[in-house]
Amino acid sequence: MTMLPLLLYLVAGGAYGFFFVRRDHLVGKLATSSLAAAALIHTFVIGMRTVEVGQLPFVGTAAVISAFVWLLAVAYLYTEVTTDERAMGVFIVPLLVGLQTISTLSEGVINPAPVLNSHWFAIHVVSLLFAYAAFALACVIGITYVLLFRELKSKQLGFFAARLPSLNVIDAMNGRAVGVGWLFLTAGLLVGAAWLFQLQPENADPRVRAMSFFDPKIFVVVLSWFVYSFELYARRVIGWSGKRAAWLSALGFSIILLNLVPIGYFLTDSHNF
Amino acid sequence: MELLLLGVSHHTAPVDLRERVDFSKRGVVEALQELKICSSATEAVVLTTCNRAEIYAACEDLNTTRKDLSRFMSQFHGVAETELKPHLYSHGGADVARHLCRVTTGLDSLVVGEPQILGQVKDAYASATGELYTGALLNKLFPWSFTIAKRVRTETNLGEGAVSVSYAAISLAKKIFGDLESLGVLVVGAGEMAELTATHLQSHQVQRIAVTSRTLARAAALARKVGGTAVDWTAIETELLSADVVVTATGSSTPLITAATIGHVMRARLNRPLFIIDVGLPRDVEAAAGQLEQVFLYNIDDLRTIVSKNLARRQEQTSQAEAMISEAVRDFLIWLHSRGALPTIVALRRHFEIVRRSELERLEPKLNGLTPDARARVDEITRLLIQKLLLTPTEQLKTATDPATAAQHAEAIAQVFQLDETPAADDIDTTHTDEETPVPRASDKTTVTS
Repeated sequence: MTMLPLLLYLVAGGAYGFFFVRRDHLVGKLATSSLAAAALIHTFVIGMRTVEVGQLPFVGTAAVISAFVWLLAVAYLYTEVTTDERAMGVFIVPLLVGLQTISTLSEGVINPAPVLNSHWFAIHVVSLLFAYAAFALACVIGITYVLLFRELKSKQLGFFAARLPSLNVIDAMNGRAVGVGWLFLTAGLLVGAAWLFQLQPENADPRVRAMSFFDPKIFVVVLSWFVYSFELYARRVIGWSGKRAAWLSALGFSIILLNLVPIGYFLTDSHNF
Repeated sequence: MELLLLGVSHHTAPVDLRERVDFSKRGVVEALQELKICSSATEAVVLTTCNRAEIYAACEDLNTTRKDLSRFMSQFHGVAETELKPHLYSHGGADVARHLCRVTTGLDSLVVGEPQILGQVKDAYASATGELYTGALLNKLFPWSFTIAKRVRTETNLGEGAVSVSYAAISLAKKIFGDLESLGVLVVGAGEMAELTATHLQSHQVQRIAVTSRTLARAAALARKVGGTAVDWTAIETELLSADVVVTATGSSTPLITAATIGHVMRARLNRPLFIIDVGLPRDVEAAAGQLEQVFLYNIDDLRTIVSKNLARRQEQTSQAEAMISEAVRDFLIWLHSRGALPTIVALRRHFEIVRRSELERLEPKLNGLTPDARARVDEITRLLIQKLLLTPTEQLKTATDPATAAQHAEAIAQVFQLDETPAADDIDTTHTDEETPVPRASDKTTVTS
């Protein structure tokens, strides 16, 4: 059952790729349907885990990545349905497949530590996951911006110009995704900090005691907050929209991916629940 | 019943003649009404565009109706038949279907693959159906051609890419900004090229057009034409701050707008994208301006290159489109010939039915002893037997792909079975094919127990 979402994400990835190249609407519909089916079954899997562990299954990197994949799939499907724009799927779904593969291979239900049995925990994790999903979308949207921008600047209109929406639309989508992501990231960090201040004085859990600004996981996420804050500031005040904003989105999400996978697995002392 | 087409187009007639035979001047409906009265066409559709005037008709006799249509076109438009005739072309049968498909897909258009023609053909067909001047043939032909056109457009890239310089400029503006309705346009120069591009932008309902020229009166004249405002020549730099699209076409011998000016403007406008269409020769904008990050500078050669590439790409698609049309026309031809074979098929069936009934009557004394149920079964067996016997000849008659073979088959069958060539009128339903009275296929199994 846990493999099924991954298989459906794979099918959807193939279909989105085929659709992007051939622009066959039937294949496009198949791609959307496969992704919707994958998200639906993924919801069911997460629901089963919730019943199993008695709270939202956000403990352990594999579970967090899986929840992130699910959120990103839902966020992308929402964007696709509301904008009637399928071209981005070919860039998003491979990311879903990659992350879901990592999550599926390191599968395993982890019973939550008692310290995590708190509403603060749920708000903290859900906010950050929403932020990461929005940043992933912004990154992919940014990549498509650069691809189209290059064609327009080089005056060699072709593959991407025929398939992607206008530069302004892509740039606006990027700005909106970063704005929403930044709000959730800020909320997630503030809630995490407030919760930590409540816990730390008396909690003996070594992971809680290891939580400080210099823990790699916390340091890197704060770094990403600065990158996105700068992107928002630069876009509004010094006119860093378009290509520069796209590169900043890619940089920001690279930092988040770094935090989510290698740092989350190997380097952090504080977030190993 | 035969299919016929008569018309003139940009392939055969000069523009002044095409203007004179334009049906839209007096109206397609009036043309259809007159055609109904004064021609032998039993069905007709009148198609008129700036590049063609055509009449598609169904008729009993091709030669008679061809003459009628030629005379009608001449009289309706007041053009001497001797003047019109050398420019007329005419097709019959499957060639009509092929021609209509080439028209609806845009293959026959002046600009190959242009999309407007499909809507114009649909309008023409709607007018004819509105006048109740279409029947079994044209009601099959036109919707079928719309389906083919849609398929060709979906499966090939025939209609893609701008194929005129001004349309290429509009397409680029759309690719950069998306919605054109919120854009500000600055037109520098008031010559013909500036006017053409500004008019195209105006037709896309841009928010604001500012026109500037060394002579303010000329700028004001163009501004009036395109619904914009004239601005002073010295205000170019100020206008550049708010414009999204700049069209330059002045004919100045040195660049009017330098890269340094654009660089300065871009900083002031916080790097908001600027699309510059420089159609001036020599160029009005320094080429180095195109290196600036959010500046998209296209000169006339860049636009022409895009157009020629798009035209070449469309040309590449034509062979695929032609192949799709040929395949579809083959199917249409089968349908058309199956209609021609209808009298023979009906006569053949009637002949066999007569034989069956007479045999049953002859055997009546022997069958008398059977129960009503067994009698009904005998009746059914004989009917099914005849249907099965007639299956292959019927299919052969319906699927003959050329008229000569179809006629040979029909003649051979008529001679072999000594068929009456003119079946009773109520035996033939010209509006319905055998799909509504299916004949069992050879592979169908009929199990009868006695």
